[in-house]
Formats: sequence, structure tokens, C-alpha cells
Amino acid sequence: MNVQTSVEADPILAGANETTKMAHKTTLLNPRFYTTDFDEMDAIDVTPVREAWDDLLAQMRADPNRNHFRKTEEWDEVDWDAMEPELRAEAIDFLVSSLTAEFSGCVLYKEMKRRGNNKDICELFSYMSRDEARHAGFINDALREAGIGVNLGFLTKTKKYTYFKPKFIYYATYLSEKIGYARYITIFRHLEEHPEHRFHPIFKWFENWCNDEHSHGEAFALLMKSDPKLTSGRNVWWIKFFLVAVFGTMWVRDHARRRFHEALGVDIDWYDQEVFRKTSIMARQIFPIELDIDHPSWRRGLVRLQRAFEAMDRASERGGLAGRLGRAVAGARAGLAFARLYFTPSRRTEPPANPRLRPAW
Amino acid sequence: MGLLTRRSETAPCTVEVSHRFESLHAHVRFDNGAVVHPGDSVTVHGAPVVAAYGEVVREARFATIVRATPLERAWTRATGDLEFMELCEFSFSEELTL
Repeated sequence: MNVQTSVEADPILAGANETTKMAHKTTLLNPRFYTTDFDEMDAIDVTPVREAWDDLLAQMRADPNRNHFRKTEEWDEVDWDAMEPELRAEAIDFLVSSLTAEFSGCVLYKEMKRRGNNKDICELFSYMSRDEARHAGFINDALREAGIGVNLGFLTKTKKYTYFKPKFIYYATYLSEKIGYARYITIFRHLEEHPEHRFHPIFKWFENWCNDEHSHGEAFALLMKSDPKLTSGRNVWWIKFFLVAVFGTMWVRDHARRRFHEALGVDIDWYDQEVFRKTSIMARQIFPIELDIDHPSWRRGLVRLQRAFEAMDRASERGGLAGRLGRAVAGARAGLAFARLYFTPSRRTEPPANPRLRPAW
Repeated sequence: MGLLTRRSETAPCTVEVSHRFESLHAHVRFDNGAVVHPGDSVTVHGAPVVAAYGEVVREARFATIVRATPLERAWTRATGDLEFMELCEFSFSEELTL
């Protein structure tokens, strides 16, 4: 619930001098602002993984993708007006939520960089913030072509700063970067085989794009490796929680964008399972457990979670007392489904001494 | 300070909004070294910072920081972590179905 889309003409954009198509709707970006335990982050010592760390940072410093996010003749014209309305709505929602994720990452990483005093950590976060802002700019341009402008006016609205424990930042961002890589590369490879389904040129950029997500994930893997406590003991239960939450959300969310995946020629069940599989294989680099995504109760749990969220949505639409009651019941069902997923047995893995991975798909 | 009292303060700040193809970002930096803690609220004074497409705007402004009460701070520390999902590209933008 972090982005609101309004349909009013945007005075900011109307006065803008620009060459791309005039935006006629605006999306108010409303990212969260974060604090964390900066002293704890400053105390990180990457000495145990120094060699791999320096290698990764050198690669990020060289910025291999600096020329990638440009529109070339490969960028085909998209006829948004001719697009079937349902697909258009889902495609725009895809761009908006991608933009929000990149933008939120940018805000979070920039804050880490600014507040930290640890040279290694600050350098890492400056590169990641740079990449996320670049991705956000690229998606923003695609949205403008669709007639959607972003409103950055949130800065003068009151913002409450929320809090992430450093370890939760590592688990959550590690997973969101790696799952992002898996999602982008799976779509890209699929569209290589089936170019007739590529209804927007942005998908052509995914191959190099996802290498940024991959290397951000690598950085968090090394951070976690630098302190064995982060991936042992009670923290293993937290790791499982984040795995289930991220995988579960993705399943629910993708199944709500049916037309979008249909247009891509992608079977959502297959796609999600494939992304879970790739992410699980990558996560063996650092997590001591992996979810058993082939366990029959895993799939059943996902479907239960999805049905609960659909019921919650229908209840919200109904409104009134019945709607509120319906939401509460559906919320309880979702909680139960989540618990079942959480208690689906997982498998232990043996992370290697050196976690570094190269993009393999 | 009591458990339920809020204090507020004003701090000079620099806002930077980039609305360019190369980079879309927006940041606030406190120029007096003020530090924001969990649960604090920040309001930058004045009209919305407007950057037309292709522009970077950097402005000196003032901001009001409303400090969270110890209770609010504890609550934010305990529950803030649950909002991590917005970092994922498939996060919820609004309602589940469009």
C-alpha cells in the first residue's frame, strides 16, 4: 500500500519541457524511510571475506552496466492506446511496482551510505544506490511513454521513519535481489525462445539488468558470511520466515496479474516454481536451509494463501461491516496458510566457505 | 522525558530531487547533523519540491522533526521489520486485483 495512483492532470508535468509523450496521469511515489542500528552496521568487519569482497567491489566500481540503460534502436514503439485495457492496467502496475522497489532500494541504500562510517559498507551502498536510481530512471521513462508520470512531491509530506534491524535488512534485501535476478532472467530466457510474446521492449534489457541484482545479492551474501552468527542458531528460523514471506508474496502477487503473464505466454505456476528453484539454488551459497518447494504441502499452502488474499480483496470491495468481518476472517485464513507454509519441512544445506557465485542462467 | 510526550525541533536541510532519465531519486540531508530515530516524523517545510522531467533540483530548506515518544520508538523497533516487502519488485502497489 505504498503507491497511490491518481487520475488527475499533473500541473508539474504539464509545464515540463520534454520530448517524450506528455504524461496525463500521475503516480505518487511514497516510499518508506528507514533507520537501522547504524553502530551495528559500522561494526561489520569484512576481513573474513576480504578477497571476495574486494573482487566484488572492484566489479561494482567498474560499473559494467553504465551504458546499458539507454534507449537504442532496440527499443520498439509501444502502442499503449491499442493495448487491451486489462493488460494495459496490469503492465502499468508491473512498471509501477518495479519502480517503487527500485526507488525504495535507492532510498534505503543511500541512507545506509550517508549514516554509516565504515568505509567498506559505505562504498558498497553508494554503488547499490546508484544502480537502483538508474533502474528507477529507466522504468520512469517507460512509464512516461505509457502516459504515467511520477510525482516526487512526497518529500514535503510528513514521513515517519520506520526501523529495520540490520540482520533483517540483510535477509530481506539479499532475497529481494536474488529473487529479482531469478525473475528477470527467467522472463528474458523465455522471451528469447518466444519473441512473439514480448509486448514491451523493456524485457530486452533484463539480461544485463539482472546482473546488477545478482551482484547486489552477492554483496549481502558476503556481509552475512562475515558474521557466522547471522546464519546460525535462532537466526535460521528468521531466514525461514523471510524465505516463506518472500516466496508466498510473490506467488499471491503473480497470480493476481493473470493477463500480464498470459500476454507473456508464461504459465504462472511454472514461472513461480522456476523462480523459487533458481533462488533456492543460489541461496545455498549462504543459507543453511532451503525450503522443500516440491513438498506437496508447500504447493497446497501457497494456493490456500492465494485464496485467502483473494477473499480479503473481495471483502474490501464489499465494504461495510460485512466487508470488515470478511477481511478479518480472510486475514485469519491467510495467517493459518502462512503458518502451514512455515512448518512445511525444509532441508539443511552446507554453504561453501567461499560464497561467491557468477550469474549462471 | 515522559513516556508519552513528543518533542519537536527544526533543522536546516538540503533536499535533492533528480527526475532524469539517468537517475530518479529524492533525498533529504540534515545540514546540522540531526539524526532521525525510529518512529520520528520528518516534514520538509514549503511547497512540494518540483523537478520537471530532465531536471535535478537541490534546495536548502527547513524541516521539522517530531521525535517519537519512547513508547512509539519501542513499537517501531518491534514492528518496522514487517514492512520489508516493499523492496521486492512484486510488492503490493495497491489492491491485489486491479
